[in-house]
Amino acid sequence: METSDDPHVWLNEHGDYLYRYAMSRLHNEELASDLLQETLLAGWKGFARFAGQSSIRTWLTGILKHKIIDHIRHEIRERKLAEAVENDPTSVYFNENGSWSEAPKAWKENPEELCSSEQFHAVLESCVDKLPEKQQLVFRMRDVTGEDTETVCKSCDITATHLHVLLHRARLSLRKCLEFNWFGQGYNS
Amino acid sequence: MKHACKQASRLASDSLDRQLSLWERLTFHFHLAMCGNCRNCDNNLRLIRSSSELIEKTRYGKISLSNAQREKLHASLKENTGY
Repeated sequence: METSDDPHVWLNEHGDYLYRYAMSRLHNEELASDLLQETLLAGWKGFARFAGQSSIRTWLTGILKHKIIDHIRHEIRERKLAEAVENDPTSVYFNENGSWSEAPKAWKENPEELCSSEQFHAVLESCVDKLPEKQQLVFRMRDVTGEDTETVCKSCDITATHLHVLLHRARLSLRKCLEFNWFGQGYNS
Repeated sequence: MKHACKQASRLASDSLDRQLSLWERLTFHFHLAMCGNCRNCDNNLRLIRSSSELIEKTRYGKISLSNAQREKLHASLKENTGY
């Protein structure tokens, strides 16, 4: 089947899919719609390079993905998000000998139950909002959107090791925050 | 082992993002077998990941372009491509 080179057809057939892809990564309707427009135009201009080996949707998603990475890189540079690797904020959760200063509790809920609770969404969101900006960014990309580590590193201009350090910090803070604000009640045993 | 729990929490987190080396897996699982606190932490981190993912899927799984957005996109495509 011949692939259409009409961006209006692409918009009709793949617009919602591409919009969802952008929204889940940018969380901003106007920005998602703008990048979708740029993607369709870039696809139209560069259609000669579409080899037809993948579907047009996959090809357009690839263009959109690059636009999103560029946008995030630019944002990071503008806001000069930095975080010193030297000071280790996870130290507060451990004693000098590396054992837990406060024992983590067993959480009994499962993801499906948690997902259906609006209150849990609110608590989780407020805990994520409290993280330092860069930790927030990598946590959202990796654990929320499910972006692969390579893309996260590329977007944020960091090494894999730095990413692991940031995610470790983010997850331990979230763990503590959720235990205090959500799992706390009834888990005092 | 010194700093065992702190180290284990790092491996619990890393295991969500990369394949641990054989040695890391051995020390990690050996530690988990003996340490209930770290087993809890490991499970907590997995639960944070899976519930975050699921919430996100539910939130963005069904959204679509509004008619206004769609019209605006068609209009700007027409303006930029000439057809």
